[in-house]
Amino acid sequence: MNQLLSVEKLTKRFEGLVANEDVNFSVAEGEIRSVIGPNGAGKTTFISMISGHLRPTEGRIFFRGTDITALKVQQRARLGIIRKFQTPSVFLGLTARENIELAVIAAGTPRGQRQTRLDEVLDLVRMTAFADREASVLSHGQRQWLEIGLLLGAKAQLLLLDEPTAGMTAEETHATGTLIRDLTQRLRLSAIIIEHDINFIRDLQAPITVLHLGKVFCEGSFEEVSSNAHVRNIYLGNE
Amino acid sequence: MIEPRVPVSAHSHRTRFGGEAKVAIAVFACLALFPLFVSGYIVYILPQYMIFGVLAMSLALLWGVTGILSFGQAGFFAIGGYAIGLMTNGSLPFGGLFLGLIAAVLLGYLVAALIGYFLFSAGVRDAYFVLVTLALSIVVEQLSVSQSQLTGGWNGMFIMRPTIDLGFTRIELFADIPVYYVVLAAVALIYAGLYAFTRSRFGKVLTGIRENEMRLVSLGVPAALHKTAAFALSGAVAALAGALYGLHSGFVSPSIGGVLFSTEVVVWVAIAGRSSLIGALLGGIIVSSLSNYLSAITPTYWQLALGLVFILTIAFFRGGVAGTLERFVANRRSAQP
Repeated sequence: MNQLLSVEKLTKRFEGLVANEDVNFSVAEGEIRSVIGPNGAGKTTFISMISGHLRPTEGRIFFRGTDITALKVQQRARLGIIRKFQTPSVFLGLTARENIELAVIAAGTPRGQRQTRLDEVLDLVRMTAFADREASVLSHGQRQWLEIGLLLGAKAQLLLLDEPTAGMTAEETHATGTLIRDLTQRLRLSAIIIEHDINFIRDLQAPITVLHLGKVFCEGSFEEVSSNAHVRNIYLGNE
Repeated sequence: MIEPRVPVSAHSHRTRFGGEAKVAIAVFACLALFPLFVSGYIVYILPQYMIFGVLAMSLALLWGVTGILSFGQAGFFAIGGYAIGLMTNGSLPFGGLFLGLIAAVLLGYLVAALIGYFLFSAGVRDAYFVLVTLALSIVVEQLSVSQSQLTGGWNGMFIMRPTIDLGFTRIELFADIPVYYVVLAAVALIYAGLYAFTRSRFGKVLTGIRENEMRLVSLGVPAALHKTAAFALSGAVAALAGALYGLHSGFVSPSIGGVLFSTEVVVWVAIAGRSSLIGALLGGIIVSSLSNYLSAITPTYWQLALGLVFILTIAFFRGGVAGTLERFVANRRSAQP
């Protein structure tokens, strides 16, 4: 598989506090990578540096082999690196359809193709039935899916998903896992997923990176990571 | 399947605004028929209130559509008024009515674009932007006083009512009726243009900025550039309103660019409702005429009365009259089986 994104020695310091240090990481085209770790491990800082919401103190970020470290959020988004926030961030006063339409417009989709693309995306995130509902009345889970739809509408190549199942029931979490796997496979998209729900991570069956105190603690499959005594000690628990 | 939290068919943005065009047609039809039934002072003064309605729409475009409040609309209004005055009173070696209108619009556009570019690209937001626009009104008022050799200072500037030469016919703008219909046609055209703009790709992006700017930027939209363009367009419309005002009233003075007048524009739009252009237009017409009426019958207390209405609107009807009506209609639709 071709490498889509790689980061080299990514470091972020906030006035003495080291949030991330010397993080090396990569994602291939069509690959899902999970990032886990205890609270304060630097997961959200890490994803923020990739999306461009935070500038790294040191280190470099490459996308399709090009150094994008200096690019702004919207420039990275135009390349296809688009982030889903921890708390669903959608356009609450607009309908689901209008939400996706904005994303389709953001991607520069020509006028003649907008409607088709809009319908496609609504179908992909299974929102067609709720398309004319205002986002403010959608359930938390639907807003999470709508936000994923925004990423698709804006032609994301690399989905940065910060806790995509936060606040969901077990059933919704399972459905979200299925949706993400389905989308990445059908559209050959890559994804970096930060998540606390360990059952969701297990079901994804994607390579896992464990962050601890801002550094890469270990990497591997779910079985490898969960059998690591140190990981069990700092994050998964010993039960 | 993830189920909705509220099992009702919530009103959509499209539905809420779908009726605006019909309301606008009815409003302009009423305005067109008005001089057939009424004559005298009201036919003279109503065009001025319609022009204030255009000024109110310039703010609604910025505040209602994009979510950016400006206390500088009077500044642009004065720029337009003085520009048309200078271009039509022979002060400059070139000029004329159409060139004057173009100059007014361009000046308003450029001043707003320049301010917007520096402020928005530097990430200045909300309260700080309001303060800068407030300062703009003060600067324009001071300049119009200090540059008295051009502007006439506190004495103001007189502007001759023009004759429109369309090639095949000439319209003398001295009697009230032709002036009324020329202003009405101009206001209707400006409204139609702005309405089409708000429904265009660009207008939708501005709505996105109002709803969630960070989300839009994170989807790849350069929000600062769009906000600059929205402010520039708003400045151009306010300046065009100022030019029309100058031509209609035949006089401009520093007070039309001041903070007090800018605040009045905010009050009109807040009371009428910033969420729709026709609401803002009606707000400009009705609230400004009401202010004028109140100031005549109670010169001491009219501002107090207007201030109270403003406070009550902000406290209890944040969407203003138009917003409250939209909500009412939407709720009725939702309640229907």
